[in-house]
Amino acid sequence: MTWHMDGGLATRYADGDLDATLAASVEAHLLACARCRGLLAPQAPRARLDRLWDEIAEAVDSPVPGPFERLLRLVGVRDHTARLLGAAYSLHLSWISAGALALLFAVLAARETTGWGLVGFLALAPIVPVAGVGLAYGRGADPAYEIGLAAPYSAFKVVLMRAAAVLVTSALPALVIGFALLGQSWTVAAWLLPALALTSLSLVLSRWFEPAHCALAVSILWLAGIAGTNLREPSLAMFSTVGQLGYLTITVVSGVLLVARRKEFS
Amino acid sequence: MSVVVEGLTKAYGRRGHALDGLSFTAGVGVNGLLGPNGAGKTTLIRLLATVLTPDGGTMRLLGRDPATERSAIRRRLGYLPQEPGYHRGFTVFEFVDYVAILKEMADRRARHDEVRRVIDAVGLADVSGKKIRALSGGMRRRVGIAQALLGEPELVLLDEPTAGLDPEERLRFRELISRIGENRTVILSTHQIEDVAALCARVVVLKDGRSAFEGTPKELRALAKGRTWLWEKKAGLLSWRTGEGVFRSIGDPPEGARLVEPTIEDAYLLLLGEGALAAAG
Ligand SMILES: Nc1ncnc2c1ncn2[C@@H]1O[C@H](COP(=O)(O)OP(=O)(O)OP(=O)(O)O)[C@@H](O)[C@H]1O
Ligand SMILES: [Mg+2]
Ligand SMILES: [Zn+2]
Repeated sequence: MTWHMDGGLATRYADGDLDATLAASVEAHLLACARCRGLLAPQAPRARLDRLWDEIAEAVDSPVPGPFERLLRLVGVRDHTARLLGAAYSLHLSWISAGALALLFAVLAARETTGWGLVGFLALAPIVPVAGVGLAYGRGADPAYEIGLAAPYSAFKVVLMRAAAVLVTSALPALVIGFALLGQSWTVAAWLLPALALTSLSLVLSRWFEPAHCALAVSILWLAGIAGTNLREPSLAMFSTVGQLGYLTITVVSGVLLVARRKEFS
Repeated sequence: MSVVVEGLTKAYGRRGHALDGLSFTAGVGVNGLLGPNGAGKTTLIRLLATVLTPDGGTMRLLGRDPATERSAIRRRLGYLPQEPGYHRGFTVFEFVDYVAILKEMADRRARHDEVRRVIDAVGLADVSGKKIRALSGGMRRRVGIAQALLGEPELVLLDEPTAGLDPEERLRFRELISRIGENRTVILSTHQIEDVAALCARVVVLKDGRSAFEGTPKELRALAKGRTWLWEKKAGLLSWRTGEGVFRSIGDPPEGARLVEPTIEDAYLLLLGEGALAAAG
């Protein structure tokens, strides 16, 4: 650049009066020219300089978040929500992919024997989100749980946010695997309402017991039901219309209970 | 007074009382909480942190009632639990930032500035990008203190922050904690009697869920004045052989014993020992 700044330009820049294009070219010049930086130093108001330094510190220090948090931000989740979700183990990519893989292998293995593939898949698919939610909060799963308890942020909000995120991150792979490997019928999605019912039920129970234990108990109950209806041959009795209405009822009742007793979470 | 507690009781399940009618007050400065294992220090701190609710008695924290104004208290509170956990996969910055979010600091820029400030205050600026799992125990403890300082809380609760630290690190902690106590109320539970002597403006000695002493460290030490001596024989309430071969004893001195200047520890042991004898007899 062949020009240098004069006092007037420096003042206008320091006061923030320049338009963006001109300010940008002034900044480019300042980076290269010590003489003009010298001209600017006495001009720049203290507050503005401090803010500038803050910005630089922010850009340098502010750490790059982990892959899951970045992914969340990419799909529009706000940064502090992303951090609250990223703190849960069952929302780490490793956990999510482990759940999806377990489902995938179960389906691939069971597909060899006719009829059992679909039942196995429908039985296992709700367990993945239930386990994930059970490990997403609470004293046993959250190392900083006690610190969080004494903080003003609503514990109920954290639990709901994490539960919702776990449901989404486990439902998406399950839907893909189901429709890709087991056919296009809607029966493949018959696990969705059971998953919602079991998750919300274990959330309600976690008022009294450790969340992971609730998840375990609810899962055992579910698997017992599946085993009971599949003693001789593969059967979809647990996924009948009546059954689905039952799951819907459990979900709604649990939801109401959760909201009514939300204060008890903190 | 920022903390006023009266007749506080708390029991876990149907077992005996962890706190059994405890009363004390604490104001600006470092307030020490001494007491043997199981005396109820952690229970008290968790009650003050609004993590537990009392069975009986009254509490006023920062002029408010925790039963009805819990959130308002939590916004002005810093808390380091006795066994704090950390998300080990987070960096120091990320972890402190996580707690800052739980403390409702929504504006990212302001929050990050505050996170940098507290990390700097505990001397961890150089490792702020390091994963927590890669830190030493002492450094991790400093991360715990850093998060307790977020948002300039008026009441800071530290449950045994110096346990398991080497002498040098403990000295650094003393310096840090005394700085924190310059303009806010710090309640510090500890087994390190020297820490109390060095740091605290006031001490409360807890015993079986009750306050056995409340006052300045000087007043605590004065309890053992004229009741600490050196002698060739084992005598008194408690006595132990020193490196020089004579016995240091506390209690009621016998004829001819050489009285010595007591330490705070002598007074503390005397206080606990007398209680134990009274309970036995
Ligand atoms: N979660 C709990 N469930 C049942 N009993 C408990 C629980 N926490 C503490 N107690 C009991 O309450 C009493 C007081 O415990 P507390 O942890 O408050 O003592 P402390 O003074 O902090 O001890 P330390 O110095 O060992 O940390 C003890 O008898 C302990 O066994
Ligand atoms: Mg304790
Ligand atoms: Zn120039």
